[in-house]
Amino acid sequence: MSLLEIEDVDKSYGDEEVLHDVSLAMDQRDVDVIVGPSGSGKSTLLRCVNRLTEVDDGAIYLDGEEIHGMDENDLRRRVGMVFQDFNLFAHRSALGNVTLGLTEVLELSETEAKSRAEEFLGRVGLADQADSYPSQLSGGQKQRVGIARALAMDPDLLLFDEPTSALDPELIGEVLAVMEDLAEGGMTMLCVTHEMGFARSAASTITFLDGGRIVERGPPEQLFETPEKERTRTFLGQLTDLNR
Amino acid sequence: MAVAAPADLAAVLQTGDWAFVLGNWRVLLLGAVVTVVLMATSLTLGFLAGFPAGAVEAYGSGWTKELVSTAGVVLRGTPIVVLIVLFFFGIPVPKLGSVPVVDVRLSAFLAATLALGLRSGAYQSQVFRGAIQSIDEGQLEAARSVGLTHRQAVRHVIFPQAVRRSVPGFQNEFTIVLKDTSVAFAIGLAELLTRAENLYLQPGRDTAIMEVIIVISAVYFVLTFATNRTLDYLGDAFSIPEGSE
Repeated sequence: MSLLEIEDVDKSYGDEEVLHDVSLAMDQRDVDVIVGPSGSGKSTLLRCVNRLTEVDDGAIYLDGEEIHGMDENDLRRRVGMVFQDFNLFAHRSALGNVTLGLTEVLELSETEAKSRAEEFLGRVGLADQADSYPSQLSGGQKQRVGIARALAMDPDLLLFDEPTSALDPELIGEVLAVMEDLAEGGMTMLCVTHEMGFARSAASTITFLDGGRIVERGPPEQLFETPEKERTRTFLGQLTDLNR
Repeated sequence: MAVAAPADLAAVLQTGDWAFVLGNWRVLLLGAVVTVVLMATSLTLGFLAGFPAGAVEAYGSGWTKELVSTAGVVLRGTPIVVLIVLFFFGIPVPKLGSVPVVDVRLSAFLAATLALGLRSGAYQSQVFRGAIQSIDEGQLEAARSVGLTHRQAVRHVIFPQAVRRSVPGFQNEFTIVLKDTSVAFAIGLAELLTRAENLYLQPGRDTAIMEVIIVISAVYFVLTFATNRTLDYLGDAFSIPEGSE
């Protein structure tokens, strides 16, 4: 059984159809990279998976369970999310960003939460920045705190919504390195990203989304080397050129 | 006080009456105490009413929100003197007697607190609502995405930031309420202005009007200044650390 199954999902904002009949399935430990031009529905698709956005039609299953039947907070505990703009809690230290979910959702004691948060900040290489506030961190550090915050909840699946798009070029590498580590460690990840280097090295599947529809979906070698559709070739070609 | 002023200046200052003000310092001090206590009770009531009202206006819906925002419009749209007189004469404030030491009628004090406090609540609610609405949407989404309920997210992520952003607005409001306590003059509450008037209205003391008014102006200024500095200090003490990378 797939860990995540998206079945014929439709979503519109008013008259604008953002997702049309989108279906995909991911197994545990899969790393799925979604690419597509801006406005193609990538972010919306991610947000449907943790119900920050509700689908209009179709169904999404997590571990066989339809997510609309689930308590949304329970779902979100199991599906972590990393945001393009980090969205760190501005009034809390790096440590405080990670502990909030641990104390309020997992109901750990302050002490347990603190030691677990320290462990996860260490894992993203920020043990020494635990007491820093978001405004005192670089973009790359902020995003790594964002990853630690999601990771500490022990999710079944992590969603990445363009995690490096807001970063200066020299800071992208440190975030991608953390993501590659996670992928190697067996974390199931659904990533919207245009980092083709990461897609080539870490992705098990690449999905090309355009105009709210899946144009093509397959292993990286196939999409990069022998895509079925001309649009896929053009788009991936452009991205790869950009990344050079 | 400077008694040995030049003759023409002395005529303006009417030096003898400064001694009169000085001789009555105790009356004015008690007035200042009543003013400060009235400010404190009004602001406390204002906060207790305004904080939830702001939250309801930001997050509520249906008739509660309607009710709260209508009450706010009415309170903000009524002159404070009218409110104070209305509360004093228009509603059955319990006849509570008076506090002998400071010579304050409790029913007048209560009416003034209600009028100033509820009006301040109406203003504070807008300060707080604005602060809530200025917090980036992503903060709430991030909190929800780790599994916090809406209530938890608002409490732990939105409110702590919104309260900090409210400080400049509250600073304004504190100053306004402090000065507007003088409006309790209209119902004869023995605060600073009322006592000042009682002083210069004594038979034969109408020459001391300017002196008394200047002195209480100074007292209002000192109180305002001290209040502002205290809030500056609190704002700094609880500010979110910022730094260069």
